[in-house]
Amino acid sequence: MEADDLALISRAKAGEAEAFRALVVRYQRKVYAVALGIVKDRDLAWDVSQEAFVRVHAHLADFKGESSFSTWVLRIGSHLAIDALRRERTSSKEELEEVGDLDLAAGGEGILATGLGNDPQQNLLRRELATQMTQALAQLPEKHRTILVLREVEGLSYEELSERLEIPKGTVMSRLFHARTKMQALLRRYAGIKAADDDQAAASAGRGLVPRRRGDS
Amino acid sequence: MRAARLRRRTVLGLLLAASVLAASPSLALAATVPVRVRIIKGSRQGPPTVDPKLADLQGQLGRLAYQRWDQVVEQRAEMDFNKPLSITLPDGAILELVLVDARKDTVTFEVKVPARKTHSRLTIAKDQRIVHQVTSETNGDAFFATVRPWP
Amino acid sequence: MNPCLRFAPMIGARPGELPDGDARALADHLAACPACMARAADADALAGLLSESLLAEANARDFSTFSDEVLAKIPSYREAAAGRRGTSNRPADGLWSWIRHHRLATALGTLAPALAALALVVYVDRGRGGPGPDDVLVQVTAEGGSATVLETSDGPVVLFGDDEPAGT
Repeated sequence: MEADDLALISRAKAGEAEAFRALVVRYQRKVYAVALGIVKDRDLAWDVSQEAFVRVHAHLADFKGESSFSTWVLRIGSHLAIDALRRERTSSKEELEEVGDLDLAAGGEGILATGLGNDPQQNLLRRELATQMTQALAQLPEKHRTILVLREVEGLSYEELSERLEIPKGTVMSRLFHARTKMQALLRRYAGIKAADDDQAAASAGRGLVPRRRGDS
Repeated sequence: MRAARLRRRTVLGLLLAASVLAASPSLALAATVPVRVRIIKGSRQGPPTVDPKLADLQGQLGRLAYQRWDQVVEQRAEMDFNKPLSITLPDGAILELVLVDARKDTVTFEVKVPARKTHSRLTIAKDQRIVHQVTSETNGDAFFATVRPWP
Repeated sequence: MNPCLRFAPMIGARPGELPDGDARALADHLAACPACMARAADADALAGLLSESLLAEANARDFSTFSDEVLAKIPSYREAAAGRRGTSNRPADGLWSWIRHHRLATALGTLAPALAALALVVYVDRGRGGPGPDDVLVQVTAEGGSATVLETSDGPVVLFGDDEPAGT
């Protein structure tokens, strides 16, 4: 946690409004981004993220510093966003989460990594893809959108996702797989790369990005 | 004439208001409601730990004096209206849960613990949970039921 | 069975998230499967893009009034929370207005046996308009004993009255 987060929290607990305002300003965009990813609607994301901070303020005395302030407010924000979605939902029909051959084919292979270079600041396609990302995200089913945002933006682990979404860990993994596959399929037309080009996929595997996350220790 | 017209409008207005007020304020009831029920144990003794599965209940459990919380049983069901869901508690007593009403934003449950002759009727918002004591405290331990609609 | 079907959902796991056996098997598979290796590269790329895009959306929005609005909402949230914590015990008046709100026949059918065995009624009335997302309606009958209801923003906590309700 930033050292002056603690100082601001301490002053906010003592009733200093401007200290709390400083915390809000520091994290408002991140909280809004997570809420937007889940609820899609900008106005609802605005309301949800404001409520997150209001609730944080109400429970400042309970904050013990075991996690960072940003983790805490993001957790509240994503909880509220998911709850906002639930209020809109009148039934929850569970779809199969298994992975089949068609699912493997749907996302294509190396679509994004092929099109993107290693230098995010100079890669035009990356910037173009980023602008299309939120549109593609909004087209995902709610449960896929939610789990992707919680994983990739809030940074939750499989175990945390399992607890938060009240689903088994195996379902977390398969649901993430489906979510990524659908996103990649949606982004395919923006990237303009065909999924079926085996040669391109094989070549890209050789120069693909070194994966940051693996199951090996 | 004008007074009579005014009276008619007033009466019509009152009738309209009455019919609006008397009408069920929300949508047709869902056929079934998915519900997650957990039986959890609170202990005054032992290391102060909370089962990670119960992290979502922190806001409610934190208000109580028990320092250790463990999940004992979990059951998920699609509940029909007015059909009891029976759960056997660790002390052998039966907990009955009945779904009474479900509207756009709220759900109403009855929680019955016949052994204690306790009967609760609780209306909660769809994103809330019920935490309900279901056994008396014995040697510093007590059991609670948590009920969550649309988990 | 296509081995990729087993390993594809594991792609994107962070260190420590997979059992050791699965982690080793995944690493072996990725070394031998260009398709899954490419999927892994895509998962990484997607993660970065997703964060970037949502934060870009947030950065594009005018947040100049956000903190003012948050600070302005705090007092009314506090008042609402304080109102919910205060337990209102108006059994006669509140109970009948609750019955009028709900379907009368169902209410009477449910309440008649409970009233007959009544030792204590705890009733919390949150307004005639019916419960909204922040409102809770609670009715507890506990023959031969008592009950306590704690209201929290996450929902009600019902305790048998003999036990000390509050934490530290």
